[in-house]
This record gives sequence, C-alpha cells and structure tokens, in this order.
Amino acid sequence: MKKLLRNRELSALLAIVALFAVLVALNHSYFSLQTLSMIFTSAQILILLAVGATMVMLTRNIDVSVGSTVGLCAIAVGVALNSGYGLPAAMLFALLIGAIAGFFNGVLVVWLRIPAIVATLGTLGLYRGGMLLWTGGKWIEGLPASLKALSEPVAIGVSPLGFLVLIVVAIAAWMLARTAFGRDFYAVGDNLAAARQLGVAVNRTRLLAFTFNGMLAAIAGIIFASQIGFVPNQTGSGLEMKAIAACVLGGISLLGGTGTVIGAFLGAFFLTQIDTVLVLFKLPAWWNDFIAGLVLLGVLVLDGRLRQALARHQRAQKYSRFVPPLPGAKNVRQFPRKKKDVA
Amino acid sequence: MPNTTAMLEAHHISKQFSGVSVLKAIDFALYAGQVHALLGGNGAGKSTLMKIFAGVETADSGELKVHGKAFGRLKPGQAHELGIYLVPQEPMLFPNLTVRENILFRLPRQSDIEKRLQEKMRQLECQIPLGATASTLEVADQQMVEILRGLMREAKILILDEPTASLTPGETERLFRQIRALQNLGVGIVFISHKLPEIRQIASHISVMRDGAVVLQGETAQLLDEQLINAMTPLDRKHTLSDTQKLWLALPGNRRTQPQDFPVLRVEELTGEGFIDLSFELYAGEIVGLAGLVGSGRTELAETLYGLRPVRGGRIYLENREISGDRTKSRLDRGLIYLPEDRQVSGLFLDAPIRWNTVALNEASVWQQSKREAAVVERYHRALGIKLNNAEQTVRTLSGGNQQKVLLARCLEANPLLLIIDEPTRGVDVAARADIYQLIKSVAAQNVAVLMISSDLDEFSGLADRVLVMHQGAMNGELRKPSITVESMMSMAFGGGKA
Amino acid sequence: MNKLKLNWEVALLLILVAEILLFGAINPRMLDVNMLLFSTSDFICIGIVALPLTLVIISGGIDISLGSTIGLCAIALGVMLQAGMPISLAVILTLAVGLLCGLFNAALIHYTGISPLVITLGTLYLFGGAALLLSGMAGATGYEGIGSFPDTFTNFANLTLFGLPIPLVMFAVITLLFWLLTHRARFGRHIFLIGQNPRAARYAALPVNGSLYGVYGMVGLASAIAAIVLVSYFGSARSDLGRDLLMPALTAAVLGGANIYGGSGSILGTALAALLVGYLQQGLQMAGVPNQVSSALSGALLIVVVIGRSVSLHRDYLQTTWRRLRGHKKLTGV
Repeated sequence: MKKLLRNRELSALLAIVALFAVLVALNHSYFSLQTLSMIFTSAQILILLAVGATMVMLTRNIDVSVGSTVGLCAIAVGVALNSGYGLPAAMLFALLIGAIAGFFNGVLVVWLRIPAIVATLGTLGLYRGGMLLWTGGKWIEGLPASLKALSEPVAIGVSPLGFLVLIVVAIAAWMLARTAFGRDFYAVGDNLAAARQLGVAVNRTRLLAFTFNGMLAAIAGIIFASQIGFVPNQTGSGLEMKAIAACVLGGISLLGGTGTVIGAFLGAFFLTQIDTVLVLFKLPAWWNDFIAGLVLLGVLVLDGRLRQALARHQRAQKYSRFVPPLPGAKNVRQFPRKKKDVA
Repeated sequence: MPNTTAMLEAHHISKQFSGVSVLKAIDFALYAGQVHALLGGNGAGKSTLMKIFAGVETADSGELKVHGKAFGRLKPGQAHELGIYLVPQEPMLFPNLTVRENILFRLPRQSDIEKRLQEKMRQLECQIPLGATASTLEVADQQMVEILRGLMREAKILILDEPTASLTPGETERLFRQIRALQNLGVGIVFISHKLPEIRQIASHISVMRDGAVVLQGETAQLLDEQLINAMTPLDRKHTLSDTQKLWLALPGNRRTQPQDFPVLRVEELTGEGFIDLSFELYAGEIVGLAGLVGSGRTELAETLYGLRPVRGGRIYLENREISGDRTKSRLDRGLIYLPEDRQVSGLFLDAPIRWNTVALNEASVWQQSKREAAVVERYHRALGIKLNNAEQTVRTLSGGNQQKVLLARCLEANPLLLIIDEPTRGVDVAARADIYQLIKSVAAQNVAVLMISSDLDEFSGLADRVLVMHQGAMNGELRKPSITVESMMSMAFGGGKA
Repeated sequence: MNKLKLNWEVALLLILVAEILLFGAINPRMLDVNMLLFSTSDFICIGIVALPLTLVIISGGIDISLGSTIGLCAIALGVMLQAGMPISLAVILTLAVGLLCGLFNAALIHYTGISPLVITLGTLYLFGGAALLLSGMAGATGYEGIGSFPDTFTNFANLTLFGLPIPLVMFAVITLLFWLLTHRARFGRHIFLIGQNPRAARYAALPVNGSLYGVYGMVGLASAIAAIVLVSYFGSARSDLGRDLLMPALTAAVLGGANIYGGSGSILGTALAALLVGYLQQGLQMAGVPNQVSSALSGALLIVVVIGRSVSLHRDYLQTTWRRLRGHKKLTGV
C-alpha cells in the first residue's frame, strides 16, 4: 500500500485502467482503441496545460492565467490565418504570443518578486481583456480547412496534432528526468537557497518554466482552434484550474520538488476520462463538475491522510526505543549503542 | 609546509546590510595545506565573510584574490570552479531528492564517479544509505552529506561552518582525520567554531572576529586561551553577577506567600518521545537546572510537560493534580509556562508589536485593551530593563537579549506556578545575560518553581539549587548545591558518574 | 507599522475619489448622488465576500471556492422558494447552507493538512457541480436559472433605509462588524498572529483550529448573504451567479493591503478597495467601454498596485541589483 502511495503515477494508471474496466463492463462495445483515442483527443488540451503547469509547480510557483493565454493564442492563430498567412507562420505567431505571455508572468514573479498567485491572477484578467479587445468581442470564425485537418485522425485514431502532443510529453518527461537542466527545476522548487548556492541559475530556471508554460498554452490554443473550428469569446475560461487539478491528481506538489510529467499526463487523462465516461453513460451534463470535484477531493483526502499516517510512522520509528518499561522492572533498559558511536 | 602564495586572500572587505556595517575592512589569508580557524561570537560576521568567499554574497568594497587572481565579485558557479566550497552550518539539502542525488548534484557525469563516492564514504566511515530521501536523515547525517558534497567536488578551499555542532566525539575524530588527510593533499581549510579545544587540536592559525572586524590573528601555538576569550568578549561589557544589582519584579495576580509542602511539579516514571522512566519533583521557589548533551532529551521532556508531545507512560502532576492528558491551553491556565529554546521560530511573533507579544498568553477580555496592555509593557520595560522605543514597535527590531526579555515578560505575565526556560541566554549578549540571571532569581523568590535547561554548564554554578543531568533519555543523576561543578555535570552528561 | 497602514488607507480613499471624479468628467451622470449610491447594488457583493476573505488571507489561507458557494446557495434558495417555502425560512436555510460549505472547507483543511488553495480548488468543483446538479434536477437547464419569485422577495434588494439602498447599508454594517472583530477583538489579533507564525501560535496555545473554522465559516456565511442579495436583485437564481466575484474580491483584499502569505491586512483597506474596484467596473460601463476591457483593466490595476507594493518592500534588493547592472555596464564599456 505504501509502495502505491509513493508511486503516484502507478496508482493513477491503475485508476485509469479501473475506470476503463468499469466502462467496458457496462457496454462491451466500448472496448476498442477508438474509445481510447477519443478520450485522448478530448484530453489533448488539458494534457498540454498540465505539462506546463507541472514545470511551473515544480519550481514552487503557480500560474492561474493559462486559460486566458490559451484563448489569446487561439485568437492569434485564427487572426493570422484569416489575414492570409500560411499555417506554419500562423502557428509560430501563436507560439510567440504564448512565450511572451509566459515570460511576462515570469518577470512579474521572479524579477519583481510578486507572489505567483497574485501576479497570475492579475494577468488572468489582463490577458482575457486583451483577448476581447483584440477581437472586439466578436468570435473568430471561418478558419481554413488546413487548420482543421490537423485534427483529423491519421493513424491509430490519432491526429497530427495528437502526435505532436505525445512528442511534447515525451520530450518534457525526458528533459525533466534525465537532463541536468531538468533536474534544476526540481532543485529550485525543493530548496531555492541550496540550489542558488550550488550554482543553479535560479532566476533563469523559473523564468523558463513560465515561458515554457506559455508556449504549451499556445499549442493548446492552436489545438482548440483546430478541433472546434472557431474561437468563441470564452475560450479557455476555467482551464487553469483543471490543469492544476490534473497535476495534483498526478502527484505534483504545490510546494515544488516532487512529481513527474507522466503523472500530470495521467492526471489529465483521468480527468478527461471521467467526463467522457459520464457522457457515454448518458448522464446529463450537469453531473460532470460534481463528480470531478468528488474525485479530486477524494484523492486529496486519501492522499492527505496517508501522508499523515506516513509521517506518524516515521515519528514512531524515530522514537521507537522510548518505550515505558514493563511494570515491576524498575531498572532502565540498556540501550543498544549506535554502531558508529565508538568514541 | 605551506607555500608562499595564498590560496585565498581578502583585503579590506567591507559589507553593509541596510546601513549597518557587518564587515569592516577585513583582511584574511588562507594557504595551501593550512587549517585556519575563525573564532567569534554570534553576530561577529563570520558567516557573512564566508558567504562572500563562496560567492553567495557580494562585498561592498575590498578585494578578493583566489590563487593569485583578483576578483571584484564572485558568483557561486565561479566559486565552485575555483575550487571553493562552503559547507554551511545548517545543512541545505534537497529534501525530496535522494542522498546520492544530493551529493552528486551538478557534478559532471564521469565514469568513475560512483567509485570515488564509495571511496570518500569509506574514508569517513559513513554509513548513510544512498537511496534514502534526504528529508528522513538526522541532522548529523545531513551534515555528513554536506561534507561529502564538498569532498566530491575536489574542493581546494573548503570552508566548514561549525561542522562539529551536531557530531558525537567519535564522529568529530573521524572528521578531523579526513581534514588532516585533505591538508596533506594541499587543500586549504577554513574552520569556523567556538569550541576552543577542537580548534587547538586541528588549526594552525586563528583569526578572532568581533563586531565585524578581525581583532586578533596569529598562529595557534602562540596564542593563549585567555587572549582568545578576551578578544571575543568586548571589554566595556564585562559583567559579573552582582547581588547588589536588583531587578525586582512583582508578578501579577494572587500569589501565594507561603510555599506549599507538596511539590509544584511531580513527574512519575514518565516516558515520552526522547526519554524513558523519569521521576523527579520540583518545589516552589527553587531553581532546578536540567543539564545534558544535545540529544539527551531535555527539550523533548519540556515539550511533553507542556503538552506539545504525547505521554507514552507515567504521570505528570501539577500541584497534586494530574495533567498528563491535558491540552496545552489548560496547562497554561493552571500555571505551567514554557519558554521555548528557539525563541525566534517558536516563541516570538517577530513582525508583531511588543505589546501583542507580551500579552499573548494572558488576554483577559474578548477585546484588545491597548491602554492596559501598554501599561503592562511599560511595567516590564522598567522591571526587566528592556530597551525599547515604544510598545508598538515590532519585536524584530530588538536585540537578542531584549527579545528574550520580552518573551520572559510574556511568561511572567501569564502568572506562572512553574516556569520552564529552555536555553535562557542563547544568542544573548553578556550584559543582558546578567539581567536574565537576576530575573530568574527574583522570579524564584516569589514562589515560582523554575526548571532551567541549558547547554552552558557554567550558568548552573551560580544559579541552580539542584541540577538534574540527563544522558540519552535517562536521568543519570542529581547534583545539589555545593557539589554542582562543571566537571561533575560534564562527566554525568557523557554517561559517567560524578567526577 | 500602523502609520504605513493609515497612509495606505488614505491613499486608497484619495484614489477612490479621484476615480469617481475622473469618470464623472467623462460622463456627468456618474456624479449624481443617487447614481453613486444606487449603482453600488451592482457590485457591492464583491465587498461583502471580500471582507471575510481578507480574514482568511490574513490567517495564511485562501478560499477560491466562494464563487461556487454563492452559486450553490443561490440555487438552493431558488429551489426552496419555488417549492413554496416561506421566505424567512428559506433565507435562514440558505445561510445555513453557506455556513456549512465554509465549515466543510475548514474541516477538510484541518483533517488532511493539505494547502487551502488545493482544498478549495476541489470544493470549487464540488460546490459548483452541486449547484449545477441541483439546478438541473430542478428543471432549469444549463445556466438559465430559476425565476419567478414572489415580489416581496425581489423587492428586498431595492428597499432603502434612510435613502440608502439596503445592500449598501448591509455592506456598511458588515464592514463595521468585521472591523471590530479584526482590529479590536482578541479573535482578530489571534488571526494575525496565526498567519504570521503558525508554529509560535501553537506554542502559545492560541486557538488555531477554532479560528480556522471561524474564518472559513464566515466566508461561507457571507457567500450566502451575497447569494440572497444577488438573487433578489436579479430576480433569478443561476448557478454561475458567483463566478465573476472571486477575482474582484481577491483583488480588493490584496489592494486593501493584505499580504497573500498571511500576517497582515486591513478591513478598512479592503472595503475601500472593493468600492474602488466596483466603481471602476461601473464607471467603465458608463463611459461606454465594453465589459471585456474592464476585466483587463482590473487585472492591470492589480498588477500595477502589487508591483508598486513589491518595489517599496524590496527597495534594498532592487537598488543593489540596479546598481550592479549599471556598474557592470560601466566595466564592459557599454
């Protein structure tokens, strides 16, 4: 049980499998690759946002403005396309917007020392306002087919953009787990002062975390525009909270230093799976949020209690030799000398 | 023999923090193969100077020369490349990474790195599991990890900030063997400590710092202990405990004028986190010292008496009433007051006004009563000699000694029957120390039972009526007034009998 | 410390006056006293929830679920009124629902030891989902909301007391109560101390747990009050009624001087900042600026203010960095 707790990714995977099993049990026709790829397609945006949120949260920060960034970049790609630019140019433009938005967040938090939650709450409003100013309140419609084609499945039910998502996740996971650059993220979140003293460029690392987050939000915006086909006003609203929830489910700690990209991926997948399962069960849409909240809280409560139990166990171990003597035995017990204490 | 060019040279290094001079034109030199000890009291500036060497802080003016090359300022990365490594006093590990990752962090992945790590660990006779998460280690082990970090980086200049603070004598001896081995390899070592015997053992040169300046420098063999101690303590503040200096304090509330014939505190076969089977009694009006080494269980005992830690066996009686299961608030209300050892973290609210801190334990009414509370602060200001400007200034602005007095005022305002003080004069300058001793005496004189925990054995001699000595969680013995000597206490603290 | 606070509150008051005058210059209708007073009913709920939120922030926590709590209370009220329950009973039960939501938050934080941000993120979905669920089951689809309430109820928000609209009066009373609680009562001092140093608070045996339930419960209660006022004012109960209140409320608290990490804050500051933010929205609307831009400006306002605060707090650090940058430039001859 403890092993399961320590390996959050494993338990998340088990939860996904379990939920899938429940789905299949009720309707055998759902046991197909198509179901999986359908869930994956719906989850693409959340997965990207969760990966970005992971990077920020690993450095012990938070970014609640990504929803607005997604909207901003969706508009960017739409506007660029409608103005006649080619697909690559439009996508690069959106990526640039996302990077700038993320970088600005980073500047506020790292250089101006503003607490991350306050700074990104501010940019949440700022970027959304910017979005609406840009479009004048109108929806972006009539996007070219070339964009929408990117979301058509090409192999095993996965679209080109879907493959892009998988590649991004793989690169991010590899970078964070295997490269020194990636380990720096963990170090910065775990103990900022120690990281600084050991020569990590802490400011640069945190700035990059926010910038990457912005860029990933940009890709998510492109996917949104591609999947939906038009960009409504409320694009992205509320996505940041779902991304953070996915990360928490996947084992990322708000205090930084723990968690993996795989965990975030699984968390995002699981959250989307719940939504999809409810839809397939023909449950009315108004059950979705309630069940998502129930699941999230359930996981949190379980996680919290288990963590407390673990801490209590560690404490008991630390003081294990201090046990009251048996009644009648008045002498103090002989303590085994610690092996290294041969003074 | 050390060669003639210094590995590390500092000329006229100065630094200010918010207008206060922390370092004043410091000159310092370290040669290859040399162990240079840095001695000084709290706030002398030792840590700041070392941080400048390691690139963590920047000097405002002055020159730093490493291996002959001059640097205006160093970045931590640069310092590492130059072979300078600072092992901090408080281990700074990454709690969620493994021990191996902590030690090898940011080291280039050479093929023989694993072998070298095992080699170093063998030399230090270190048995820490490499796969363990750093947050689960004891402080002594964490310190060892820090030292390993420095060794693995092939540091040429190793700065050790109070490395033996949490080590047993055996571990200290092993560390010294490593240091001597490093000396033979030409490594220069700066050794910060306040333990004179150790410094005499290991260091060839000593620099004494006080108030941000180097006041004495020279070879260890040529400096006497007296000279060193004199250099560390400022001349104009030499104080001796004088009976004529009376800081009298009338405690609030209804106080008993006659001591009872039963003990204020009775502890029966008490077992808890950190101690086993303790039994003792405290009577009103006496000052009882609790001595022992770091880790002997004294603070854990105090916290258990206060209600912050659970009782595993035995009973606690306050004035013949059992309180073993009571919550801390009810123990406070009954007169059991505890002054914690780390006052800045567990005791004071540094950014709150003095007034708030003073009345925190005794707020009679649902409303804040600023006038009454200001009067209370004024009373303690006079009685305890606290240097303050007004009752609304934040405690952070006070000196260590005055902060301790505010905490003491808070405890006294809560009308104690039993006052447990943990390390009353830690981080307190000499003048305030004398005041605090006087206050403890005057408090005891008003029929309060005082239990005083201290690591400074000299304090007990003039102050305590009795001293209980703990060793590894058990009560090793008790000493009464004429037999309270530092030698006896030291011997019992290490597990032996009376010296 | 106190002088700094007073200066900040005075500054807020001056900015508020300047803001109203500025908008008045653009649209003279704004300066009409009746307009000023009665337009507050649009936004005064921001203030009603921002006040207890300030207390939560001072204690070192946060509550991002209050929008969902408002939605849940609104739907609950709607359902009860629709079922024909007497108004007074429905109101009391709604208050109870809000209180329970707040206490639920506190209980989760207490029993799991998990950061309030994460817990209230979960309850944001739970309460919001419950609101949607209830409204769905009651037959209102999506965000349409429950309507057609008895007139006595919908008139409530439009009543006046001494010529002042009732919601504004309620806000003033609540502000006074919170001011007394926070800056004059023992309870408030405990909240400040707990927020500053939770460990020392434990050692001083301050009522850490009791205060936790107290402050979160008050947020829940205030959310219920806001829900009642909003439902009465708009005449319909929708589950997303509170969605746009969290950001402005949080902005008001931070603008009012609360430190997001806990330990300091000002009730008067929050109240003034709530009016500031509210009139900003109002004024922009009257100046013909589209709604969307006002959220951008609120966000920008928050950032500018916080930058200002940060600069003044970290003066030392910024000065040395600036000096270092300039000195570096001199050395490299740039």
